[in-house]
Amino acid sequence: MRAILPLLPIPALVAGCREGQSALTPHSVQAAEIAQLSWVLFVGGSLILVVVIAATWVAIRGPAAIRQRLATQRMVVAGGIIFPAIVLTALLFFNIALMQSSARAPADKPGTVPIAVAGEQWWWRVNYNGSAGSPVATANEIKIPIGRDVLFTLSSADVIHSFWVPSLGGKVDMIPGRQTRLRVHATRPGVFRGPCAEYCGGPHALMALPVTAMPADEFDAWLGREQADAVQPSTGAEHQGHALFLASGCGACHTVRGTPANGTVGPDLTHLGSRRSIGADTLPLNRENLIRFVAEGQTVKPGNKMPEFRIFNDAQRDALAAYLLSLR
Amino acid sequence: MRRLMNARARRLSVIIAATIAGLMVGGFLFAWSGIYNIAASRGHWAVVEWLLQFGMNNSVKRRAWAIEEPPLDHADLYVLGAGHFHRACLHCHGAPGVPGDLTAQQALPPPPELTHAAKEWKARELFWIVKHGIKYTGMPAWVVQERDDEVWAVVAFLKRLPELDAEGYRRLAGASAPSQTGRDIAMVGRLTELIGACARCHGAEQGRPASGLVPVLHGQPAAFLITALQAYAKGLRPSGIMQPVAGELQTDEITKLADYYAGLAVPRQTSRIATSATAQSLATDGDPNAKIPPCGTCHDVKALPIYPRLAGQNAAYLANRLRVWKNGLRPSSDTEAIMVPIARLLSDEQITDISAYFANLPSERERGPTP
Repeated sequence: MRAILPLLPIPALVAGCREGQSALTPHSVQAAEIAQLSWVLFVGGSLILVVVIAATWVAIRGPAAIRQRLATQRMVVAGGIIFPAIVLTALLFFNIALMQSSARAPADKPGTVPIAVAGEQWWWRVNYNGSAGSPVATANEIKIPIGRDVLFTLSSADVIHSFWVPSLGGKVDMIPGRQTRLRVHATRPGVFRGPCAEYCGGPHALMALPVTAMPADEFDAWLGREQADAVQPSTGAEHQGHALFLASGCGACHTVRGTPANGTVGPDLTHLGSRRSIGADTLPLNRENLIRFVAEGQTVKPGNKMPEFRIFNDAQRDALAAYLLSLR
Repeated sequence: MRRLMNARARRLSVIIAATIAGLMVGGFLFAWSGIYNIAASRGHWAVVEWLLQFGMNNSVKRRAWAIEEPPLDHADLYVLGAGHFHRACLHCHGAPGVPGDLTAQQALPPPPELTHAAKEWKARELFWIVKHGIKYTGMPAWVVQERDDEVWAVVAFLKRLPELDAEGYRRLAGASAPSQTGRDIAMVGRLTELIGACARCHGAEQGRPASGLVPVLHGQPAAFLITALQAYAKGLRPSGIMQPVAGELQTDEITKLADYYAGLAVPRQTSRIATSATAQSLATDGDPNAKIPPCGTCHDVKALPIYPRLAGQNAAYLANRLRVWKNGLRPSSDTEAIMVPIARLLSDEQITDISAYFANLPSERERGPTP
């Protein structure tokens, strides 16, 4: 009984591999391949473990004749060298055959949706190709079509980050001065979480991004909206918030297309209001969290590079939040 | 033999313990009885006087041993030091042409006349004394402990002090006032020292600050000046020079002062300072690779009035403020919380260049209304 105790939390831990961030619930061709390979490894490995334990038991307690046979040189060569060589070689070829679509895919395959993602301390800079071939900048959230190839071009602005959306594909490092690639062919709709999978300093644990897989026609319509300029403020509070946004210097770091705010240091905010979260998936996006992030961002996400704007009074905070949430 | 040693050692330790206890009890009884005369009017016995001096000298020398001295012979530095000395130190220590206050002189020890002190002490020792003060003498410590740059300004002035005559001192401290009538003196007091006048250091009307390390206040938005003075007064913005000054001001005086300076035109810079071509791009576009946003977005005339305008500001002041942050001074006010993380991204060269760029930049009024 005591031997089983350490194993008790395992069901709870496995339950943590929930929908949304789990390599065991694949939603793309590539993730399915990885999951299949994983199952082969888990099951095969378990079988071999059972055989080894049985052999060990027999070697200690079994009949003398069998124990003698187990102790021969032939048995050591067969079980310790030949058997692993065969199993590992077979697995290698199985892997190569299985991972076709991940490992070998032409970069310029027609119909591929290119998305550039750069890891920065501690957020994600995302660029799509717009209709005129011009880049469409956004941040901290990715939308992809189902049934089309998506080619992620991954880079880093500072230190090594790692891009990993377990439900959609393998883990690929983002390395300064280099470009790495990841191909994903989503098969089922859903929202999947991708945490930064390489420690990148300070608030690394609060650097994640939601990836939404959606039907291709919805994706096209969304991209059309995403490349448009920001909507103009309409209500009084939004106008006030817009003026405050510009006067307090937010535009030095953030771009809101269609306004004088054209900073590139921080995330593009053109359509911030339509995102699910704020601070690279630190908090769900709502009025209260938005105000908290602006005014006490160093408490919400300690170490992040946005200075705290504690200078605003309550009315100004409300106006600013109204404007930012209107950027849908 | 061994037993004998033990017995002797035991007896010795008992004697020592008894002596210590006796001294402690005796000392307490001495203090309790009030026999000791604490009067400043009586002075010390010569031997006590000597011992105290001896101890103080050695303590200062020992503790200042490892302090590194920056270059001190720059006019910006000693003029700033003179300006502060005039308000904070003159009353007790006096200066050429201004005797120390007679009342203050009755302290024990009396505050020394500093012409000699500047010759006797090394710069680093003066720095240590000005920064930390001296126990039991009435010499106070610097108001904030994290502004060594300000302390050095006073040391730079003290090092100049021996060469100054009365006129030279008054000029350096900006303490030359118009002559007053007997009625004026009777009604409002002597103004010759102009102790509380902002203009001694910051200039007024069309006069620029006497030292480049002192900011030009002319033409700054009133809201910015009020915020800054309030931050000083509340002890939020660390400065041993400005906190005591701002702390004396009433709320309505702060508003009046801010309105006065906000209404002035920025006085012209006498000469252009060399700067690099990259400074302008830093001001207008920032340095995205280094994650530095453009300065202009917040320091332009269109920005919030609690942000300072930088056009025509003193280059030395800007560079010093940025460097003090870069060297670790923590942000304390709400606007500093915004600026300090940015200042820390700037390279030393960028600080020099961008400070010169803004010093050269004509102010909004000089440029005329934007088309």
